[in-house]
Amino acid sequence: MIKNKSGLSLVLSFLAVTTVFAATSPRPSAQLPPVTRLTAADMPYDVGGTALLKWDVRPEDTPDVLYQIYVSSMESGGWIKADEFPADTRTGDGIELPFWAWNASVREHVVKVELNNFYGEAQTTGPVFRFKVTSVKDKKSYDSQVVSAGTVSNWFRLDRLNNLVMAILVFIVFFWAVSHAKRKGLFIRRIAGLDAIDEAIGRATEMGKPIYYLPGIGNMTMVSTIASTFILGEVSKKVAQYDSTIKVPHKDPVVMTVAKEVVKQAFLEAGRPDSYREDINQFVSYDQFSYAASVDGMISREKPAAIFYMGWFMAESLLLAEVGSTTGAIQIAGTDEEAQLPFFFTACDYTLIGEELYAAGAYLSKDPMLMSALKTQDFGKLVVMVSVALGGILASLGGLMHWDPFTRIIADLFKAY
Amino acid sequence: MKLIKKQIPLAIVLVFGTLTLLTYFVPHKRSVNFLETMNKWENIVAAFAFFLGLINLFYSHYTKISRKADGWGYSIFVYIGFLAIAIPAYVSHGKNMDGSVLTWMGWAFKYIYNPLSATMFAVLAFYIVSTAYKSFRIRSLQAFVLFAAAMFLILGNVPLGQMIWDKLFGWTSYAISDIVDWIMHVPAIAGKRGIMIGIAIGVVVTALKIIFGIERQYLGKD
Repeated sequence: MIKNKSGLSLVLSFLAVTTVFAATSPRPSAQLPPVTRLTAADMPYDVGGTALLKWDVRPEDTPDVLYQIYVSSMESGGWIKADEFPADTRTGDGIELPFWAWNASVREHVVKVELNNFYGEAQTTGPVFRFKVTSVKDKKSYDSQVVSAGTVSNWFRLDRLNNLVMAILVFIVFFWAVSHAKRKGLFIRRIAGLDAIDEAIGRATEMGKPIYYLPGIGNMTMVSTIASTFILGEVSKKVAQYDSTIKVPHKDPVVMTVAKEVVKQAFLEAGRPDSYREDINQFVSYDQFSYAASVDGMISREKPAAIFYMGWFMAESLLLAEVGSTTGAIQIAGTDEEAQLPFFFTACDYTLIGEELYAAGAYLSKDPMLMSALKTQDFGKLVVMVSVALGGILASLGGLMHWDPFTRIIADLFKAY
Repeated sequence: MKLIKKQIPLAIVLVFGTLTLLTYFVPHKRSVNFLETMNKWENIVAAFAFFLGLINLFYSHYTKISRKADGWGYSIFVYIGFLAIAIPAYVSHGKNMDGSVLTWMGWAFKYIYNPLSATMFAVLAFYIVSTAYKSFRIRSLQAFVLFAAAMFLILGNVPLGQMIWDKLFGWTSYAISDIVDWIMHVPAIAGKRGIMIGIAIGVVVTALKIIFGIERQYLGKD
């Protein structure tokens, strides 16, 4: 009996100890269920070569769980690890697309797989690739089912719909303004720098000194250089009328070729084709500082009465304008490179700021068609002003009231993708 | 003649301008290929135009020398400079280095071109000082505001200035870096953005004028 009692107490003690240990010792890790409902599709609105994987966010998605993305171009095996990230990241709202083109859900994981990083660019658009997602926890991994998808080149950037709508609106206003110009003239505010062109050319004629026109160091694909050639045409016409001398040193040979045509045409229109010389336009150097050094030398030696700096300038702007300033020339500058504007403000007598450079050709030519196009610029500015004011108020309101979806809609509307 | 000089060029501008505009909205591979082809064409045209530029340069300086025009002596240096780079480039097969050894061309670049280029860039520093002097002459209220803003920026960007500020205005609880940050991120950015928005709109309208043939001065007028 005593024996039985002691045996029973031994069993009870063992059970008690094991129960306590079971309660205090760490639990073995729970089995992590593999990812289900995995889908693969083509990334929309892109050139191709990018696939989009989606699966549901799960309660197990804690920071200590990792997701690994694998891709293969073969029917079996050949897996390449494409990505790895903590399970509590990468949801639908992380994709940079606007609300009308993308459902930014935080309930699903969305991962972009850029296939170009693993396979040749030519092989990524068209063929079918296989994907799987592996969940990793405590060095144990659990594979999802394998899904497959191919990528295609898309034909339309739906995310840029807001820009397209704006572009269409600008087109309509542009054509309205141009057709309106045919019937009656439009008021255009005075631009002091352009009014001074006559004075500068007149001064040069009286002094018997040349006029220098520098079209900047930009190439012919830059709108500021194109605008500069428009102004060069008008300036050359006046130079021809006054029978003065103009010199146009160039950094870019393509710009020189276009400028030659423009100047020749201007002399023809002014009725002075005999005054046109081939050496008016001169190629100097394709190197920025060689160009600046050479033109500085020419300005120092010839001491022109007027210098025009119109176009795209960089560091050479001050090198040129300061040397011009020391010769006592009237200097008129115009550029859309805002970093160079302060230098021109200080060293030149007149400076055309950004958009005035584009308006200058129309202003000088007095062509009603060209002047009317300036109305489109005014319309653009009006749209920007209203957008800034309205967008600012609505976004602030959304922020104050914590209406996050509303704030996102406002931000998406005015964003360029 | 008008067809060749006016209508065909205008049609080319309209078609290729519109197609290039559309590439912004069309991400397709064909659209990307089109843009790449256009860029290649631009480079090819630029390469041919460079020859034209070189011929123009040599011809104009040759004319100056033959006519003994004012400063004709400088024109000789155009040829000397050209030969000083072109001959080593030809001898070195256009390479700067032969293994770890400088080629003739590399030598010409390192010891002729680079020092000259750096000298021109260094001169800029002196011009900036003279420009700053001109800008800081206080002739009006606006000039005073510019001067004051510049002084804050100068003080905030040199250690000595920061020490002076801390000694004199440390009691204000504003660090000079706070003021510099505010100037750079509020009034300066506001002005800059205003200019940039104006420029962007101007670019769009100028592009439309060219694409639709409203502005055609670069072709010569009718």
